[in-house]
Amino acid sequence: MGTLENQPPACYNLTMSFFVSLGIVILAMLIMACLQLQPGVFSLFYHYASGKYSKARTSDITLFFILGAETSAACLFLCSYYIADFLFLYKFRPETSFFAWIIAGALLALAIMSIFCYFRPGPGTKLFIPRRCAQNLDSHARTASSRSDAFALGALSGICELPFTLPLYIVTSIEIMEMTVEFFPSNLLTILYIVIPTIPLFITRWKFQLGHNLANIQRSRVKDKNFTRIILSLIYTAIAVLFIYFRILA
Amino acid sequence: MEITNNKTLIKNLKIDAKAIGIPTGAAEIFINKSLTAAQKSLKSKKIITDQDLKLAIVKELRKYNTDFAYVYENHDKII
Repeated sequence: MGTLENQPPACYNLTMSFFVSLGIVILAMLIMACLQLQPGVFSLFYHYASGKYSKARTSDITLFFILGAETSAACLFLCSYYIADFLFLYKFRPETSFFAWIIAGALLALAIMSIFCYFRPGPGTKLFIPRRCAQNLDSHARTASSRSDAFALGALSGICELPFTLPLYIVTSIEIMEMTVEFFPSNLLTILYIVIPTIPLFITRWKFQLGHNLANIQRSRVKDKNFTRIILSLIYTAIAVLFIYFRILA
Repeated sequence: MEITNNKTLIKNLKIDAKAIGIPTGAAEIFINKSLTAAQKSLKSKKIITDQDLKLAIVKELRKYNTDFAYVYENHDKII
């Protein structure tokens, strides 16, 4: 039985809770940066654009793709923040742990799915999304010719990735809610959470600008396919375990 | 079937070639030669599927530029 002497001091609890939240948010950022749909659509879009337009125009419209991806991430994060707020009534309570178990279950399911279902079997890096959806993204990437098209394509690719990102958005929202505002600027973390997952897009853009072509980039994606699967699965599992242990069972 | 007159196919191949960095003149020569050779190799077949056509073109393109062939072969396997 917990006596007063055995209980950890309040500052320890605050720090522990803070670092757990920070750890979960950083792991979620890593997963978002490892997901392959947006880099895939982006590299196709860059390839088609550079085949049709000048370097300057290609560089310009591909930046709007990234802006679209960031905007969709911000909107989705805002929606998930309100969902989390609605489900958990701002803080964890015993009556809301049912929803927390559902989210933890979804994270564990995604950990298994990312090993078996994230990439379709066969050569290449065909992803989990329905084939009709992939064909639509491909044809939009092929025909997009203006900044608004590029922006919409970026946003659309963010939305298509939702089956693998929605539980992450909700968990991150919960963790950012759990962080005390005066201890750490949670708004800054929110902005980082939206911007950091687009770093692979900036790297891909930079590689194209340095003279790499779609063949080189796709070969490296194929080479790293199994590594991506394992990393995704491990990080999903880690987030689920941290969430269950420190949030639900605690 | 005349694949050497297929305007959409030629346009898409030209876009791929430019994106890879093959000069326009060289790309036109590669494409014409590849399509002509693919046409010849498929002449004996009564039924030609899209896959047959693609494989024949990829086989010919690979003789000129492996990146070009790889992109044409794989662009439906990227997402």
